[in-house]
Amino acid sequence: MQSEARPEKGWEPRILAFLCNWCSYAGADLAGVSRIQYPPNLRIIRVPCSGRINPFFLLRGLQNGADGVLVSGCHPGDCHYISGNLAARRKFALVQELLKYAGIEPERVQFTWVSASEGGRFAAIVEKVVEQIQKLGPNKKLVKSYER
Amino acid sequence: MTEKLISHTNLDRLLARLGERGRVYAPARDEAGEVALGEWPQNEPLTLEYGNFRQSPKAFFLPQNQTLLYLQEGQWQEPGLPVRETFLFGVRPCDARALLLVDKVFLDGDPNDPYYTRLREKTTVIGLACAQTMPSCFCTSVGGGPGDAAGVDVLAVALETGLLLRAGNAKGEDLLSSVAGLLAEATPAVLQAAEERIRDAEDQLAPVLTADSVRRLREAYDSPLWETAGQKCLGCGTCSFLCPTCYCFDITDEIRGSVGRRVRTWDCCAYAPFTLHGSGHNPRPTPKERWRQRVMHKFRYAVESFAVSFCVGCGRCIRNCPISMDLRTALKELGA
Amino acid sequence: MSASHQIEARLRETVEKLLREKKVSLFLGFEKASLPFRTTPLFLTKTQEVERLAWNPFCTANLSVYLPRLFQAPADARAAKAAPPPPTVGVALKGCDARSVVALLQERQLPRENLVLLGIACPGMVDRRKAEKALGEHEALGAGEDGRGNIRVVVDDGTEITLRREDVVADACLECRSPAPAIHDILLGTPVEGKKTETARLRTAEFESRPLEARWAGFQEVVARCIRCNACRQACPMCYCKTCIFDQTRPRWIGAGTNISDVAIYHLVRAFHLAGRCTECGACERACPMGIDVRLLGRKLSAEVEDLYGYRPGEAIEATPVLSSFAMDDPQDFVTEP
Repeated sequence: MQSEARPEKGWEPRILAFLCNWCSYAGADLAGVSRIQYPPNLRIIRVPCSGRINPFFLLRGLQNGADGVLVSGCHPGDCHYISGNLAARRKFALVQELLKYAGIEPERVQFTWVSASEGGRFAAIVEKVVEQIQKLGPNKKLVKSYER
Repeated sequence: MTEKLISHTNLDRLLARLGERGRVYAPARDEAGEVALGEWPQNEPLTLEYGNFRQSPKAFFLPQNQTLLYLQEGQWQEPGLPVRETFLFGVRPCDARALLLVDKVFLDGDPNDPYYTRLREKTTVIGLACAQTMPSCFCTSVGGGPGDAAGVDVLAVALETGLLLRAGNAKGEDLLSSVAGLLAEATPAVLQAAEERIRDAEDQLAPVLTADSVRRLREAYDSPLWETAGQKCLGCGTCSFLCPTCYCFDITDEIRGSVGRRVRTWDCCAYAPFTLHGSGHNPRPTPKERWRQRVMHKFRYAVESFAVSFCVGCGRCIRNCPISMDLRTALKELGA
Repeated sequence: MSASHQIEARLRETVEKLLREKKVSLFLGFEKASLPFRTTPLFLTKTQEVERLAWNPFCTANLSVYLPRLFQAPADARAAKAAPPPPTVGVALKGCDARSVVALLQERQLPRENLVLLGIACPGMVDRRKAEKALGEHEALGAGEDGRGNIRVVVDDGTEITLRREDVVADACLECRSPAPAIHDILLGTPVEGKKTETARLRTAEFESRPLEARWAGFQEVVARCIRCNACRQACPMCYCKTCIFDQTRPRWIGAGTNISDVAIYHLVRAFHLAGRCTECGACERACPMGIDVRLLGRKLSAEVEDLYGYRPGEAIEATPVLSSFAMDDPQDFVTEP
């Protein structure tokens, strides 16, 4: 991620967002076409299903300078692939606990369910997440610098 | 060859003097309660009561993690960081001798490894002879000894009255003359006490290798004993990483966009992917081949390439192997 | 005669019979090592060598780590034609080791019918580092168990020092809830009672009670000493992937060196890959040459898996591993709501 601090506002969090193609990405898209304003701090990566998320993605995101990571999938029971998000749910619960235990602020890595019709819900969640991470400040933990 | 005596009280002063010229590393207890070479001065007091450090001093010259080149805006650049004058105090003779062996790979010959060379040139090694040996030591069987001065610039022998300091080369002579004010004459009694200390330590060691171990190893290449011993090996890397002469490394590029670095890290022949070809073929497919390679490299190939075995008998591999492999047992069983 | 001597005698008898009657072609056990406080694995095939088998308070290794390799499927059809049939293997297992075998069976890594599991009731094994530390300046020349289960050590000056078992027993054993081998074809010794869950979780609870930044600092302390030797991974029976994710080059997930961020991620990911699979045998922390608390993160994940999903790995062969299954009512307190 290239540095994109906007001088008039000071530091802005850069949040990596993994959105499942069928529900959450569509939900985010709906927020867009409905002209619902929400903070522009997300860098979205579309995945086929929240079950695709390997916890390594989240950690590499933090390592590469993300201030936070948001993962969103279909609501349990509504997964396009039937059970991808159900398998993911256990992984997410454990990853949350693991990172919190290791001393990484739990607000930096968050998980949610957003359906294709929930543009408003998506925007509200992003508002909340960005606000929480803004308060925490830039992420320094796990960051790996490739600079000299 | 200058020999002087330094009192225990003056030892701290000596380290302080050296500290004015560069960075000093001396033995003290670390966070885990073990004696290790730490940057001096430290919270913990200097201690001379130790068998050997858990890690070997090779990390000072061949770090586990070393940036060879930086990539900036698409251009590769050398690190160019100045190397500070460094003094290592308390290095055991086996580890010091190991440095001379690793020199054969990285220092001697043309071209040499500039990263290694730079660090070696800027480092002074003050060794500490052993008064006690551990059951896992066998330096005398591989050309070393508890009072061996190979690889040290100054050898210290701890005695009741202080430490005998014996210069090993020009660098050592310079060091001793630069702190002459702190040193006293080494009387014949002192010299004798030092000799006795070292001899006592030598007497504690049992011989390991036979005179023609190289030939015997060559003949034993297909012995089934490699399998019986090798199948226990977990391929964990502990032996190589702690070994003072193991020098194999891997080079990887860590790049993000147009910024990054070329990094050298330690590698280990006991790892399965060490000899894994791009095709998927692995000429050392099982622990047996890898165990055999390890023993052969240390005790046969090194002799064939460098006329000296690369094992210094420090015993770290024996003490730290999680499943207590002992290469002395293996060598004995092979008749070497 | 100490308890372990008695078991050792019966062990030798039993294994002699198994080998003689060809019930097993190979027996994995322990034999005396060259240094005190240690044993080394023994791959026994000959009946006449059965006296080499040892059973004592230093039989710390988890021998199940060798099992997957013994039963690895041939690489291709041609190799399959030349390959000998899989051996029948007997193995000596403590409680923790037996759980590892069950966990491996749960993941279909071993053929149960080719295994003869010799469970041995374990009162806790000696951590050699604790023992060496307890001797202070003395160097041990030899050690053994006395009639009370304590460790009698002969030191360098010829004198004898007795170390109390409870002072030198391994941390993993102090937290062991499953000392009785859950799975066995033969059982030797009388199982002792396991520790209570609360006791087993004391260290986790203590760490968790620290504030966030103190936890991060505690985690970084572990990370700072790691030299990325991979001993923890290699010693672990559950780390049997043909190509470990950390050895992959396409993509390369983290660097191979000791960059602090890479080391932290190594430990976080390895702990996560073992979530619901680690049987808390302690092989990793024993193998670590730097004496790191390797199980710091894993202990927490084991507790979470048990609390969230009521699952402990290595208890029942038919149980589906926790991350290979799900329930509609799995807890989701972690989900962010607007």
